[in-house]
Amino acid sequence: MIFLRRRLPLLITMITGLLFAGQYYVPHPASEWLLTSATKWLQIIGGFALVLGVTSLFHQHAVKIRRQEAGWGYSLVLYAGMLVTIAVGLWAGGKESLDGSMTAFGWIYSYMMVPLQGTMFAILAFFIASAAYRSFRARSREAAVLLIAAVIVMMGRVPLGEYLIPLSGDVSQWILNVLNASVRRAILIGVSLGTIALSLKIIFGVERSYLGGGKE
Amino acid sequence: MTFSERMLKIDRRIIFMVIGLCTLLPLLYPVGLPIKISPEVRNVYEYIESLPERSVFLLSIDFDPASKPELHPQAIALLRHAFRKNLRVVAMTLWVSGTGMADQLMKQVSSEMGREPGRDYVFLGWSPGGSAVIINMGQDLYTAFPSDYEGKPTRGIPVLEGVHSLKDVTYAISLGAGNPGVEAWYVYGKDKYKFELGGGCTGVIAPGLYPLLRSGQINGLIGGLRGAAEYESLIEQKGRAVAGMDAQSATHLAIIVLVAMCNLFYFSLRQQKGRG
Repeated sequence: MIFLRRRLPLLITMITGLLFAGQYYVPHPASEWLLTSATKWLQIIGGFALVLGVTSLFHQHAVKIRRQEAGWGYSLVLYAGMLVTIAVGLWAGGKESLDGSMTAFGWIYSYMMVPLQGTMFAILAFFIASAAYRSFRARSREAAVLLIAAVIVMMGRVPLGEYLIPLSGDVSQWILNVLNASVRRAILIGVSLGTIALSLKIIFGVERSYLGGGKE
Repeated sequence: MTFSERMLKIDRRIIFMVIGLCTLLPLLYPVGLPIKISPEVRNVYEYIESLPERSVFLLSIDFDPASKPELHPQAIALLRHAFRKNLRVVAMTLWVSGTGMADQLMKQVSSEMGREPGRDYVFLGWSPGGSAVIINMGQDLYTAFPSDYEGKPTRGIPVLEGVHSLKDVTYAISLGAGNPGVEAWYVYGKDKYKFELGGGCTGVIAPGLYPLLRSGQINGLIGGLRGAAEYESLIEQKGRAVAGMDAQSATHLAIIVLVAMCNLFYFSLRQQKGRG
């Protein structure tokens, strides 16, 4: 059992990890065929992952409703919303419009999902303004530098700012292109090196937490 | 409680009202301040402008309705430009929740520009797998998308004539609101399959993509509503983005004034406490 539960997954991980790390540098048709097949598998697995995700969501909220935990009413709304959308989606064959006329699925998408998601995002502007007023204070030198940079970029990114302070556009561009880009690049390099190190640890079986199940 | 303390604990509904008015009033009474074009947006415009007719232009609409206010105007402006240049447009999405919106977008702009599906453009829809779809398209476009969004087999569609994989794409742009988006298109697409790549994104994401821009990994970047407004100005078809810039100007200014006020009251309070 230990072979099937531990050693076999580790072996598969090592072989596929090394194979596909090497594949990138081999432009032979066989190597390209291997990549095509693997990505086909990935797409199929991706489809199943979606089903798994939806099932898990259903299960989680079913438990909440059964136990009548705090906010279980929202879970009920989620259930109703998902079931109705799946039903009308299947009925319409996943199409928002058929022969030029909108289906029920299209109606839910256009008149419920689109405005709801848009509203959620738009509300952010109000909360950001409120949060900025409450917390964006020059408590230290570092905070003061951040504050000044933020004000310059905010001014430089809108026509009114550039109209009031003509230099703000160029300074904002410099902040984004030079200061921001260099710091972001340093973070990116750090993250990439970390990812490579973690990948090697997974490939060679040093890092095994992804297998789950705790200690052997 | 002193005046400064009272002002620092101001009811947040007053702030909400200020922001609401700053958004609403400029939309009702637009001023139309001139918009300066940034080099990163101009690069995208000039690259599309330089493409020969019937070049293959891939637009990946990688966002959902939450980012519609910023990215929808970008997509409209890019499509108008591509159709005006008579490019072959291949559109798709990596975000399942954006599929319906992307389909509506394609139908709206293509009918406005008098372009025919199948001949001038194709909307491939969504395919599961996230970033793996990009690799799959790089290997074989017809494996990744055996049929288009309407269910027609992609093999044999005139607009895809001579297109087998991402290697046959002349220029690709990902309008991304997160992951998978512009970065995924570079890592899994451009780096291996060698096509020119541009990006469009929400204002929040834009600073994170500047390293890709500076190193030439993407040749241009349209950032947020401002970027969309710049592109609309470049193609001389002003739309929602240009209209929204006045509201964004007023809101930015309101936030700057609020932050300045908050700091003024904060320092005044600190001074009072220091004296006490």
